[in-house]
This record gives sequence, structure tokens and C-alpha cells, in this order.
Amino acid sequence: MMEFEAVIGLEIHVELNCATKMFCDCSNRPGDKPNMNICPTCLWFPGALPRLSREALEKAALLCLGLGAELQPRSAFDQKVYYYPDLPKGYQLSQAHLPLARGGAIDISDENGRPRKLRIHHIHMEEDVAKLVHEMEGRLPISLVDFNRAGAPLVEIVTEPDFRTPSEAMEFLKALRTQVRYVGSSECSMENGTMRVDANISVRPKGTGQMNTKVEVKNMNSIRHVGDAVAYEINRQSADVQAGKVVTLHTRLWDPDKKVTLAMRGKFEGPCIPDPVVPVIELAPEWIERMRTRLPEMPAARAERFVSQHGLSGEEAVFLSADPEVAGYFEALIGQGVSPRTAMHWLVTQLIPAVKDRGQELSGSAVPPARFAALLNMLARDEINAHAAREVLGQLFDSDKAPEAIVSALGFRQVSDPDALDALIDKVLAEQPAAVADVRAGQGKALGFLIGQVMQASGGKANPKVLRDLLAKKVSAAS
Amino acid sequence: MDSIFFYRPPEAAVPADGPLKGMNIAIQPNVSAAGWPTDAGSNALARFVALEDATVVERLRQAGASICGSTRMSEFGFGLDGSRAGEAIKRNAAHAELVLDLMGESRLAASAGDVCGFKPSYGLVSRFGLIGLIPSMECYGILSDSLKNIREILKAIAGPDERDFSLPDETTPDFSPQNIDRGKTTVGIIKEAPGSLPARQESLYRAAIETLGDAGLTVKELSLPDFPLFLPVHKIVGAVEASSCTGRYDSVRYGVRVPGAKNWNEMYLSSRGAAFGPLLKSYLFQGTFFQFERYDAYEDACRIRARLVAGMRRLAAQADFWAIPVERGGPDAPASLADTYAQFALTAYANVAGLPALYLPPAQGRPHPGVQLSGPRLSDARLLALGEHLLNARRGGNA
Repeated sequence: MMEFEAVIGLEIHVELNCATKMFCDCSNRPGDKPNMNICPTCLWFPGALPRLSREALEKAALLCLGLGAELQPRSAFDQKVYYYPDLPKGYQLSQAHLPLARGGAIDISDENGRPRKLRIHHIHMEEDVAKLVHEMEGRLPISLVDFNRAGAPLVEIVTEPDFRTPSEAMEFLKALRTQVRYVGSSECSMENGTMRVDANISVRPKGTGQMNTKVEVKNMNSIRHVGDAVAYEINRQSADVQAGKVVTLHTRLWDPDKKVTLAMRGKFEGPCIPDPVVPVIELAPEWIERMRTRLPEMPAARAERFVSQHGLSGEEAVFLSADPEVAGYFEALIGQGVSPRTAMHWLVTQLIPAVKDRGQELSGSAVPPARFAALLNMLARDEINAHAAREVLGQLFDSDKAPEAIVSALGFRQVSDPDALDALIDKVLAEQPAAVADVRAGQGKALGFLIGQVMQASGGKANPKVLRDLLAKKVSAAS
Repeated sequence: MDSIFFYRPPEAAVPADGPLKGMNIAIQPNVSAAGWPTDAGSNALARFVALEDATVVERLRQAGASICGSTRMSEFGFGLDGSRAGEAIKRNAAHAELVLDLMGESRLAASAGDVCGFKPSYGLVSRFGLIGLIPSMECYGILSDSLKNIREILKAIAGPDERDFSLPDETTPDFSPQNIDRGKTTVGIIKEAPGSLPARQESLYRAAIETLGDAGLTVKELSLPDFPLFLPVHKIVGAVEASSCTGRYDSVRYGVRVPGAKNWNEMYLSSRGAAFGPLLKSYLFQGTFFQFERYDAYEDACRIRARLVAGMRRLAAQADFWAIPVERGGPDAPASLADTYAQFALTAYANVAGLPALYLPPAQGRPHPGVQLSGPRLSDARLLALGEHLLNARRGGNA
């Protein structure tokens, strides 16, 4: 049986998180009540003229720079001509001939851990179209148009056909999402539709350099679905080719329930004509440099720094730096004197799950870094134990009080004074002669039991380390 | 009178104080004036009422003018079929008119109405609120008996507008009156421009050129062998832009929808089919053909357009202005696209190259038509000064 390999390229639409639409001052909030955010320009009333948003251009440019693409000194909008009710003027403004940026790449590791550089062909700006809703009015099918999304600012990232496996596509998208979130141009959520991915897939006998007819797959609403759809399509096309069928150029939709792709329609490519109204965009080198200074430290650099500066493992560093919010929070904790290891451990295992449970976001949660650091620093100074720290964290979400005040109020301050612990230990040893005998007979388990008893008698406040030392000394001394 | 006007407001607003105080200006129903019916001469916009004022309307009113109504126009201003441009001035119903110039309409209307007609440089006047057809070529032409009126109007409406980003970032010319130096001003005659004019037009053109000499101007022969390409470039580029520009008239959001369609493709076909008249339809078909079938020819036309613009810039180094005949003489009532183009063979150049152009009527008692003068981009103020100089010379003045 012939072995096939896939040739995959992605087209990724990213909705920029600008305050306004791309060519007018309407709010860029597609999810509002239908047709609330509309004006003569985005409805293309007679006499209206488009005005390119400065914010859209800046956020698009930052995104390009964040992905290592080269901003072009001269780019322009074209008219992509087609007629459909979601398109209010018979053409979509897009950059077909002179895109905003060319080149760029994303580094990922493939399934075998080998580094792969996946190249970007170009990145261009375009406007989004309206949303169609199909309903029944009695027995009459009707189509409703919601223009809130019409004119929303988008960029489209078009990759080279460098991908060979579904996993590469998924890793690329995760890394892309991280980098775009870093520059702050978009949330890049496939679930919310702020990132939409079309995959172009063809297959060829492994080892040949052929570029065969490709099939476009749409309608995946998570990164996992992209992987599933690409995997399905590779198998489908390989089987077809094996059976001697010819692959034809067309578009397929991913059906997430049945986990199959279904043929949609012949691909219609309308003409693209230079738009005579939106001015040509000329970017001065100084402007590009100014944008570059606005770029934050990107995730790969940050992860490297976390390893060298804070002694995290590579895996930990990549995990923490993947989300700019998490990475920023981590660094804020360190700035407040928390050790990197404690900060990482408590952030990942305690705070993030707690924030999630309460339906909050890390930024703007009830526990800003200063409060959390105060708690962790008490833990580091042995003023409280880990158990108490977890309890106090829960309280921090419901109370404005300082962690110190909560610790005091709940009486969580740890007892480390040997004199205070002595009395408790003596009492427990007197009550548990059998256990004491077991310890002396070399049964370690019994020591733990005794520690537990003293801890209970202290109301959970005994410093476990001090307690263990004192107890061990006492039991052996008495023998 | 009613057949000249498409709409007259029941009650004119009290004009502001300003340089245009007391001036009545007629517009066309493709210029937005809030609350006015604004159908741009097309069924596609039947009963459409403008939501806001065009920049020109706002600026004219701020300068003290009174917008006295809108005159009947050809469909989207393409050609002059059905247009009554120029007549409001002749009948003393307006001191000036704004007339869309897509390929020379304002200059030919001025010629027919025996008034002055001025087409400004492209990019000098905001198009916000203009229901246009060919975005890269269209321009408000200004018609009036008086060049002083034209200058004052242009002064009021020209200049940057934050609602029209397509205006180039340039310094607006100074429209204060200025003198034309006798003996130091050259007017070029482009050898290839007239083509083969009919004998009558030829002799009138020669006579007009003689009067330039009489006014103390140096007349110089120039050559631009590409000149005959202006019209074919206009045909292709203009039609392509018009096809895109009218894509918005799809009956989805406004305009007239023909009922009974079974699906939206049918809705488009029937509604758009009913929206446009036969001349405009053939124009749009032509544009769609170049968009979908002959994109290569469109690209060629764009390249040649750039070459023509450069060619005119070269001529500007050899003369201050140009004199060009305004019409060749053709069928009075154009029935086809070809007939319509034939009318504009000598005016379309200014739209293709974005140049200012002035039509000056002949001196009293002299036969029609007068002469068309043109100059480099943004020479608008000097071109108007040249016109004033020539009119003055006719009156025996010695400017």
C-alpha cells in the first residue's frame, strides 16, 4: 500500500479587539442586540465614505510584528467582488494585491519533539461581513441580517503549505494564539469566533514534491476540531487517491457531531479590484520602529528568561509564559519577594483553579498579586502552615481584609514556640502509651499518628516541622 | 420651471452671514441634503431621503449660500440624457449650480447653457455625501454666469474634510484674485487633442485660439501622442469602478425591492434589473465584463492611466495652461453607450488625470461653442484667474 503525506496550509482570520469597526466609529461589539452598532458607513448608504481606523491599523501592525512578519512600506485595499446579503456593498474590502505584511514564522516542536519552523506567507487586513440568521415566519422561510459584525476589523494570516500533520497545525495555532494575545491585538478564541481557521489540505505520495489539488475545510470551532478535521480529511483523500478517484477543488464543512467533513460548494473566486476610495497605506520606517517599541517581550523570550533568571524547568517556563496574564502575575509575585518555586506552585495549583471556580479572570480577580504575595510570604516565614494558607486563600475572595488580619482573626498563626508545644506533647505521650511503645519498637507509622494527635490538640496550629523534631526527641529520650 | 427642478424645499433655511450671502445655488439629487429626496436620477434610489448633509452642502450654507433646490439629472450623473443642468441659471432660478462631472458633464452643460463651467482638480473638494459613480474620477462641477461666483464657491467648499480620507494631504490653493502676466503666460495647444474635428468645429477652435493671442498670451504647440487614449482608459476604468460602486444597490437595506423572488439570487436579479435604466445597465455590464472576464485589460488601462498622468505633467513643464476644444459635435440625443462616449471625447481627459478644467462661453455674438482651458493639478486658482483675464480682455480691458 502506498504511503501518503499531507500538505497543509492554514488561513486564519483574527478579529481585532478594537473599540470601533474598521471603517467607521460604530462599536466593535458584534454580540450586542442585532443591528445596534450600525451607521450609514457600515450599511454603505449612498454618499457614505470609509475612514480607516488608526487603532485597527496599529493593532494589525503589532500583530504582524509579533509574528515576525515584515510590514510593507506600501499596502492597499482591494474590492473582493461578490453578491450576498451579508455583504452590504457587493464587495469586501480586503488587501489582495498589496498585503500589510509578508513573511514571518512560528517555531513549534513536532510530535517527536523536533523543532519545526512554520512559515507565514503574508498577513492582510479585511473587514468582516454581516451575520445571517435563517428563520421561519409561519411556513415562510426568511433570512434576517444582523449588521453588527459588518465592518468589524479582521486580519487574515495566510501560511505557507509547510504543515504535514494535524498536530503541527494544532501546535501552530496554540503558539499563534499565545503570541497574538501577548501583543494584545485579539483574544483569539475559536470558541467565541474571534479566531476562525480554514485549512487547505492535499495529499501526495510520501517523499514526492507534488502539489496536488487542495480541498478547503471550514467550520471548526476549536483547535482540537482543526486537528480532528485535518486528520479526517487526510484519511479521506488518501483513501480516494488509493481508490483511483480524482480530488477536485472544493470546500468542505467539518461536522463536529458526526466528526466528518461534508462537501459544501464549488469554490467561487470573484475578481479583486484595487479600491479607489480607501487611501493607499504608506508606513514610514519611523512609524514601524515606533510600533516595534510597543511590542512586549514575546513568549519564547520570556520562557527563556524564566529558566535562566528564576530557575524554572523548560516545561514550567513555557506553561507560565503561554498566557500573558499568568506570566505577568507570576512576575508580580516575585517582585513582592515570593520565591519563584513557591510562586509557580501556588499560582498553578491553587490560585488559578480558585479563580476559575469563581468564574473570575486572573486580572481583576479579588486576589491581586500583592494580597496573594502577603499570604505566601507568611507561609515562607513559617507564620502559617500550608493548610492554613489554603483556608485563608478561600477567605481572600470573600473579604477585603488583609491576609494578616484574616490569619489573626481565624487564629491560624502557627505555634512554633517549643515551650508551648512541650506541654501538648507531654499530654499526648501520657495518653498514648501504646503508640509510644510502637515508635520505640521502630514503627515509623506510629510517630505520624502521634504528630497527628498533637496537631489536633493544637487546633491545627502547631508548626509541623518544629513539632516533629520535638516529638521525635522526646520519645527517644524517654526510652 | 418645475420640470427643471427635481425638488425644491418648501421653505428655504435662513442663510448664514458669509461671503456667499444672497447667492442661490442649485444642486443635483445626488448631493445629500438632510431630509431631501435624493435619488441620484435612478430608480435604484426611488423615494430615498438623505439622512445627513454632504460636506459641500454644509460648507455652502455656512458661507451664506441658500441651496434652492435640486435639478433633474441623468441616471447617477452619467452623460447628460435627462439632465437639466445649466437651465436654472438661464431662467434666473439660481446664481450657480453644482453638477457632477464624471467625464465632462458640467463642461458640456455649461456649453449648452452658455455659462461658465468649472471642474476642479480631483481631491480638492470632499465627496462626503455625494452619491457618486466613479470614485477616482468624479468631481463637482460648478456652473455660473460669473467666474467670481465660481471662485467664491470653490473657496467655500475646497479643502480637507475629516469625513473624506481620500482627499490627498495637500495644501489647498489660495483662491484670492490674482493677475495673469501678459507676455509671460503660455497656453499650450496639444496637437493630438482635437483629432479630426469637423470643419466647423475646427474653425471655431482656431478662432478661439486667436483670441488668446489677442489677450496677450503666448500660444505654443505641444504634443502628447497618447492623448487619444484618454477616452478608452476612461471607458474601462470608469466602467469597472461604476460596477463596484453600484453594488450597494441590492435592495437589501434600502431602495426598491421587486417582490415575488423565490430566493435572494432571484431577488438581486429582479431588483437590480428594475433599478437601472438601459444606458446605465449597458455601462455596468461593460464594467462587470472587465472585472470578471478581462481583468488584464483593466490592469493595462490602469498602467496607461499612470502614463497619461505623467504625460500631462511633462506638458505642464512646457506651458502654464492648455486650450482644448470642448466638443466634436455628435448626435444631439445619444441613444447608446458609444454615442454617449462620443460626446465626451474631448473632456474625459481631465477626469482621467484629475486636472482642473474651465469652459468659457464664446464672446457675445460669437458662435458656439467656446473654449476649454485646463492646467496642472491644483492650478485651479490660476486657471480661474486666466478665465477672468480672458473675459476682461473681451470687454476691452487691459489686465
